[in-house]
Amino acid sequence: MKTVDIARRAARSLRNAKARTILTSLAIAVGAFTITVSLAAGEGARQYADKLISSNVNSQALFIVKDKTIFESSTQQAPIREYDSNTSSRNGVTVQQLTQADIEKLEARDDITSVIPTFSPTVEYVRFGNNDTKFVAGVAAFDPSILSEVSSGALPSLGTQIKDTEAIVPGSFVGTLVDRGIIKNEGDLIGKTIAATATKATVTPTADQITAAFVSGGEAAVQALVKPETKVFTFTVVGVTKKSATALSSSSDIQISANSARAITEYTTQGTSQYQKYFAATAIVKSGVDPEKVKESIKQDGFYAQTAKDLQGVIFTVVNTLQGIVLGFGIVALIASVFGIINTQYISVLERTREIGLMKALGMRGRSVSRLFQFEAAWIGFLGGIIGSLIAVVLGSTLNPWITDTLSLGAGNSILIFQPVPITFMIVALMLIAMLAGWFPARKAAKLDPIEALRTE
Amino acid sequence: MIEVKNVTKTYGKKNSEFKALDDVSFTIPDGASVAIVGKSGSGKSTLMHVMSGLDHPESGEVVMNGIDILQLKNKAVDKFRAEKIGFIFQSFFVQANETCFDNVALPLEINNLSTRARKARIEEALLTVELTDKTKQKARNLSGGQKQRLAIARAIVNKPSIIFADEPTGNLDSTTGETIEDLLFSLNKQGGSTLIIVTHDSELAGKCNIQIYIKDGKIERMVGNGVSTIEEVQS
Repeated sequence: MKTVDIARRAARSLRNAKARTILTSLAIAVGAFTITVSLAAGEGARQYADKLISSNVNSQALFIVKDKTIFESSTQQAPIREYDSNTSSRNGVTVQQLTQADIEKLEARDDITSVIPTFSPTVEYVRFGNNDTKFVAGVAAFDPSILSEVSSGALPSLGTQIKDTEAIVPGSFVGTLVDRGIIKNEGDLIGKTIAATATKATVTPTADQITAAFVSGGEAAVQALVKPETKVFTFTVVGVTKKSATALSSSSDIQISANSARAITEYTTQGTSQYQKYFAATAIVKSGVDPEKVKESIKQDGFYAQTAKDLQGVIFTVVNTLQGIVLGFGIVALIASVFGIINTQYISVLERTREIGLMKALGMRGRSVSRLFQFEAAWIGFLGGIIGSLIAVVLGSTLNPWITDTLSLGAGNSILIFQPVPITFMIVALMLIAMLAGWFPARKAAKLDPIEALRTE
Repeated sequence: MIEVKNVTKTYGKKNSEFKALDDVSFTIPDGASVAIVGKSGSGKSTLMHVMSGLDHPESGEVVMNGIDILQLKNKAVDKFRAEKIGFIFQSFFVQANETCFDNVALPLEINNLSTRARKARIEEALLTVELTDKTKQKARNLSGGQKQRLAIARAIVNKPSIIFADEPTGNLDSTTGETIEDLLFSLNKQGGSTLIIVTHDSELAGKCNIQIYIKDGKIERMVGNGVSTIEEVQS
């Protein structure tokens, strides 16, 4: 019997048992729905992450460290290490730092255009304008390779540093500053001066120094010796950042130029072991050179680097894990529906004993009978796949704007992206699974003895 | 010519052994109409099953056109049935959910005929049994007589050389039964295919050229065979 004719007969007998067919395929539809949503969500998340990274991170950027443990899992316990003045403790883990010599070595390379170490400037307090109120605020170097959006003021284009006397203030400061009467509204902040007071690291004076100070200036001189030295750095606000959906930096630090950050850092660490030591550095690879190659090349010099792609990989790993979990639920639902198919088809074989007997008496091969029932199962799988994915697509497309809004992903971004190819693959896979499930009942049908089946009583 | 030689079929195991057919032999000329007559349990249905290759006896031969069908492999037997045999049953066994057209299409589909070739054959068969106007109707909407006519159309659509009819009028009232009988005999005379009717109705049996009376698995007597030669049958 021709395959087309078998498929047609299978479809007809399913049409004749509409309720049973639809109920069985609905079980598969649940699995198909879950799988379609997980595929769409995974794709959406990946595309979103991709967009996030490509619009924020210079693809030529390399994030360089001296200690590869920084890139390794922080959940692992690190072994104890020998003391080295170039190490520092970060998140409870002692790491090797980059020295000024390392930075210069990197700068000397002809495949790298610029190297900016990550400065860790700290200030005691900041004051706005002429107001005397002191605020605690973090200070960070402005990263020109990461896109920020401002709600007031203006920023230089991507890749350009701000001026050394300029500062960018996070939008989250505005509320407090307005409450304190320092500014009337956000726009007021632009052009305001920020006075940041940094404290030099105290060096415990020796007994001789204290004696000498006492002799020359009395008690006041001793107090001056022990009192930490401070310096005020002044900046002018040029922009207020806003929290953006596609901006990676949601920094709540006052951002200043790299040079200013260096100045503050060096002032505060002068005389300590941390002077001119950097946790990491960002290098921009010359355009036309593959950052991956530079990454491999500097590895030989004892530097470890991550490219923009590696960063993507980290995010993708998280997305893939989450997607895998949802996919797992879908597969569990499918396994349940497989038993549904087996059950339905067994009943179908019992109900149609005479029909099977007749077909076999008329010379239909056992294999064709088996195929007839397997095709019925495949049709059920197809129907379930179509119903499930259709509901997922319709529901997902309808809810996408709402999800985007709720998660504040930014206009034009969808978290559910439906692609025809994976959905088609899924439906084909469902048909194969259904056929596999239909194999047991189909075998029973194929083995049916026509004489027994056609007994009239 | 159909030759049945020393066919023995037993059911059950040693102690409860039961011989459904006991050393049965006879010959039927091509184109004849034959009645296999017997009470229920006499072995007449088993004989039909053996002759159509559905059942396998322990010993004996069923030779058709020089080939012993009992020696054929399963696949070849299925092909033989699909090409050479038509069945008509007491309870019709038409598929109620299918249209008349699709019911008649089944044997042709089994024989791998193309859709186009099928259409003409099906229309011809439905015309023969006067069901042309019901072509697109579901079989469940037909009366008993119409269902049996549909079954006859399904049996003849393949132009088989033998048609087996198992109590073809058993489920019909006498008037309708007679119509079906007339149809079967006229087809037998026109088409030249051998008609083998299994029945306990001696009146129906009497209308056949040959009657084979069977009792307890043995041929009790055979009327018409030997007396009626092939020439007589065809006249």
